[in-house]
Amino acid sequence: MAYPTFAKPSALSRRGFLQGTAASAAAMMALPAFAQAKGELLLWLPGGSDVFCKVQTGLLADWSAKNGGLGPSTTICGLGQDTAYSQALIGAITAGASPDIALLWDAPVSLGTQGAFLALDEMMAKSKISIDTWPGGLLASCQFKGQTFGLPAMAGLYSMWYNADMFDAKGIPSDPASFPKTWAEMRALSKEFTVWDGDDLKVAGFMPHREVESLAIWSALNGGTLYDSANFKYTIDSELNIEMFNFFIDWLDEEYKGDVNLVDRSGAFGSGYANGDTGQPSAFREGRLAGLHSGSWLMGDIWDPAPTFSNWQLAVNPVGPSGTTTVSGVWPNWLVIPATALNPQEAFDYLTFLSTEGALAWFDAVPDIPTNTLVTVPSPKILIEKRGEEFAKNAAAFYSAQAKIVTPMWDSPVQGFGNDQIRLAMEKIYTKAATPKDALAVAQVASQAELDRVLAG
Amino acid sequence: MAADLKSSAGDKRGPRRKRAGRSEARAGVLFALPWMSALVIFTFVPLVLTFVIAQAKFQIVGPPKWIGWDNYEAMWKDAAVWTSIKVTATFALASVPIKLVLALGLALLLNRLTALSGFYRTIFYLPFLMPAVAGSITFMLLLTPGAGPVNLILEFFGLNPPDWLRDPQFALWTLIMLSVWPLGVETLVFLGGLQNIPKDISEAADLDSPRAWHKLVWVTIPLITPMILFNLVIGIISSFQAFTQALVIGGTTGTPAESTLMYMVVLYRAAFRYFNVGFAAAMATVLFLAVLLLTLLIFRTARSWVYYEGESR
Repeated sequence: MAYPTFAKPSALSRRGFLQGTAASAAAMMALPAFAQAKGELLLWLPGGSDVFCKVQTGLLADWSAKNGGLGPSTTICGLGQDTAYSQALIGAITAGASPDIALLWDAPVSLGTQGAFLALDEMMAKSKISIDTWPGGLLASCQFKGQTFGLPAMAGLYSMWYNADMFDAKGIPSDPASFPKTWAEMRALSKEFTVWDGDDLKVAGFMPHREVESLAIWSALNGGTLYDSANFKYTIDSELNIEMFNFFIDWLDEEYKGDVNLVDRSGAFGSGYANGDTGQPSAFREGRLAGLHSGSWLMGDIWDPAPTFSNWQLAVNPVGPSGTTTVSGVWPNWLVIPATALNPQEAFDYLTFLSTEGALAWFDAVPDIPTNTLVTVPSPKILIEKRGEEFAKNAAAFYSAQAKIVTPMWDSPVQGFGNDQIRLAMEKIYTKAATPKDALAVAQVASQAELDRVLAG
Repeated sequence: MAADLKSSAGDKRGPRRKRAGRSEARAGVLFALPWMSALVIFTFVPLVLTFVIAQAKFQIVGPPKWIGWDNYEAMWKDAAVWTSIKVTATFALASVPIKLVLALGLALLLNRLTALSGFYRTIFYLPFLMPAVAGSITFMLLLTPGAGPVNLILEFFGLNPPDWLRDPQFALWTLIMLSVWPLGVETLVFLGGLQNIPKDISEAADLDSPRAWHKLVWVTIPLITPMILFNLVIGIISSFQAFTQALVIGGTTGTPAESTLMYMVVLYRAAFRYFNVGFAAAMATVLFLAVLLLTLLIFRTARSWVYYEGESR
């Protein structure tokens, strides 16, 4: 599944802008065509690989065929991520031509509180799937002031990924149990791998964290939070978060010449995917990066293009200087029903199907993790095929365990705004335009002000 | 009798002329009607609605809620708005004069009659025809650190080129450089002015002083001040509305580190990323008034430095 890779620390990349503009225009122009008759379900997906789209299309078609009274339903794939998708969705909702179901790679509360999505509580109360079967932490990311605006159907789970072949070549134990348990250990290990040729970074160990969407995990690993949903308070500039960024900057200075631009010039060291803007291939797949923080979906995506090594392993996230225990976190695949959906009950029935029985077909093709506790996570087929039964079984068990230690995230009603502010703060911190304390303080003030504005009603 | 006849003929022509006049006027209105309707529907109505929505909390979904001046107050307190004002003002202060000087220079060169002047005129106008997004992406590729041709050439000469678009100290200046690139319209306006300078004045100036810059400063520039005024006003308005290049290069956060965060980008993201349409409308209202005041100020000062042919002082 083609998840965003966040190689460029920007809310809207050039590619994103172009895709967004095109997608929005296409969506608007095609609204009359998308407007479905009652009795036909319409599903919108923000993006994803061809495999993902095919699976979703097939699942909806099969389910519609089996459920009498429903016409030939439609899946619209790849409407664009982030701003573009929200724009298209809001446009469709206000135009009264919305889909019945939309998949979000975001928190539904932001748009839900504005009245864009139906509150599902009544339908959930009558559903055959008990509300207790949803993990509380994940369901909380769909809830706001007692209302539930979406179902947390499938989650991408974050963990550490590493190139065991590189470990073996250096004589470093490569079993997951020996993987560094703290940031300090990881940083020390990283130096074993890092090689510079002048200003060109040839090989690196691990990188200080630079992705905003998963920053809540790193904050939690250091004992902190970015947002306190119970009290509607942002906590971006807490001492623990300042300590976290001081640690990262110190690491950057010591191992990476204090210059993220030099690192970025040398390759795509930020994720397991190629840099969408520069075309640089993933350094991890090239065997130039010993390890990285990524999600479970990479189990399906890592084979195309195939990495230059075969033995990659998974490990739990290491703990920060002030942290006490490891945690994981999610990339959401949350499902919502837009407020102007023509078939809300049928849409809800499909959501419950997709979150339970349908989740298995989804998982087989793209290993996002089913979150409903009624679903037993099997071994991913693609892993059985590529790495054997034993490895696939261990990977499934590993992610099942990670699902139980998910830290609260994606739960702010101004998630996008907050992420933009934190992204900006990270940019300032990593380009040395501001100290962590100052940059985080600005992000805190702006995010809290926006939250207060939204909460004011 | 003759007087009566004259009067009677006049009376006859009068109603006919009046009728013809009315008919012409009606036709004129009919011809202008589509344009007038478009002006009302697509300009005046949105303008008035913008002023109204600026007083409301409006998030597209759901009805607007009247909040008075709160959006303006929020603007006043928003650090990003102030940052964007600073960035936009810097952009305008740097790009407008640079653009004027370069366009004038090009126009002076094009004004020299050569066999290839038509060809050059076309060449210099071509960048204006390139869509801003395509132009921005082309420059991004040219300026890519490491693999971009610009940096490769600079490195070949032993220079240490910057990260044009990733270094906060360089990004805005790179954006200014990009904005200067399509000079076609300004150049053509100046060229039109230069070609309208009476030949006798030009020849008299040549006789009075052999130095070319004397002629430029004391004759040419004063005679093209209406064109300078036009380019200045248009340049300032468009620089305050700079958007596409800034969005393509810096995204909605003005990457890197808000160094390319233009006012229009903050306005756009308020409306279409955060769906805070009331706030965006307040920003648009402030921009409208700021540009209006600035334009009026320039026109006011223009009386002292713009020379119109035939005008007496």
